[in-house]
Amino acid sequence: MRSRALVSTVSVALFLVAWEIAPRLRLVDPFFTSQPSRVLVASVDVIRSGTLMHDATVSLSEFAVGFALALLIGVPVGLMLGTFPTLRHLLDPPLMAVYATPQLALLPIFVLWLGIGMASKIAVVFIGASIPIIVNSMAGVRQVERPLVLAARSFCATRRDVFLKVMLPASLPAVMIGIRLGLSRAVLGVVVAEMYVSQEGVGNQIMRLGSAFRVDHLLVYVLLVSAFGLGATTAARKLEERMAR
Amino acid sequence: MTHLKPILLGVLSFTVILLAWEAAVRAGWLNPFFTSQPTAIAAALAREARSGELARSTSVSLREFGAGFGLAIVVGLSLGVVAGWFRTVEYALDPFIWFIYSAPLIAFYPLFVLWLGLGTHTVIAISFLLSVTPITVNTAAGIRTLSPTLLLAARSFGARPHDVLWKVALPASVPMMVAGLRLGVGRALTGVVIAELFVPSGGLGSSIAYNAGLLRTTNMLASLMVIVVLGVICTQGLTAIEARFDSWRTGPGL
Repeated sequence: MRSRALVSTVSVALFLVAWEIAPRLRLVDPFFTSQPSRVLVASVDVIRSGTLMHDATVSLSEFAVGFALALLIGVPVGLMLGTFPTLRHLLDPPLMAVYATPQLALLPIFVLWLGIGMASKIAVVFIGASIPIIVNSMAGVRQVERPLVLAARSFCATRRDVFLKVMLPASLPAVMIGIRLGLSRAVLGVVVAEMYVSQEGVGNQIMRLGSAFRVDHLLVYVLLVSAFGLGATTAARKLEERMAR
Repeated sequence: MTHLKPILLGVLSFTVILLAWEAAVRAGWLNPFFTSQPTAIAAALAREARSGELARSTSVSLREFGAGFGLAIVVGLSLGVVAGWFRTVEYALDPFIWFIYSAPLIAFYPLFVLWLGLGTHTVIAISFLLSVTPITVNTAAGIRTLSPTLLLAARSFGARPHDVLWKVALPASVPMMVAGLRLGVGRALTGVVIAELFVPSGGLGSSIAYNAGLLRTTNMLASLMVIVVLGVICTQGLTAIEARFDSWRTGPGL
């Protein structure tokens, strides 16, 4: 484990050094590539400016509302589709069609329906996150082993007991996988939706900085979003491992 | 009859959705300006097919998808094999792979435009970067988690390291590789569509963005329908390939 951390650190350090030195040796134009030192200076600038807090609050609330809706609706719908075969056969084809499509292609439609404010972003997050949650919850219920259910039934468990005490716990790991997949799609969804059209938020800021080619500041925002995405998925993975035990 | 039931119900649900949509618009419950209607979309698709616009935008998107995903396959499989075989390489690559995996890559599109120009190349780059990570990670995992029994058996018959790699490790990790490709194919398509929303390349995503700008819902939905069909074809195609590659594990006689 120690050698792993060591090798990873060394490789990142080497990359940072090369990135810092290359523009200084005039091998590449820092206008195109920026430099670690410039990004550092820019990050101080970004934190001091105060717009970061505002943009982060906007983006995080869009993310939180959309994702909460996806959880509240996605998990029960997925469990229900897993439990009732007829319902599943009925809804599976349209669901699979949406699942196979890049859901972000729906973005312009949502903007047309819901406007350029927070609602269209929430819708994009919701649809992006709820699809993997539904599909995985459904798969989770379906892969619950039949003998488990039969055993519960033969001990006179009611349908409700079977669902609450057998199906639900047994399908939880699959539900968690869906939630983790949904998380990363939700993060991408917020940023892309804000970049596409918005008046505030991190994605809006990224778009402005990008169009102005302020690469140093752009990288600060991109790194922040990546750190958030990585943090959220890592936390979900940890939770998943704890539940699987 | 039992295996027909899912298909019948599936067809039924699509029919009901389309009929309800059409009927709701005709009855005046839905404003066609916002939702369009199936018959109008079908007519728009037919018109675009006759004028050649449909074929043009689809082929642009498919070419970008092919180039991005093709590049991701070549780079992802080779990087994955190297990373799976040499621990040090894996540890060195790990932070970068995780960064590319969790970064909102589309945020870099202004940079890509600076480096590669406004158009196809930028779309290909984003599609490539989005799809290369799951392929690399899965291939490396496939090679690394090679069953010790297989490895010992090969070694005791005098296999040299490169024999182990070519004749044992690579074939044994094919299912993992295909699983990586499966994850990658969706991301490659997503990459093409998102990038096209921002970068005008003449593809389907650009057509959506262009028509959205003109508030032409029907044309926008027509392009979206083509993307849905492409997505379904890609996923189904890979399921078929997966079934074929994985068949040696559970084939008859085993």
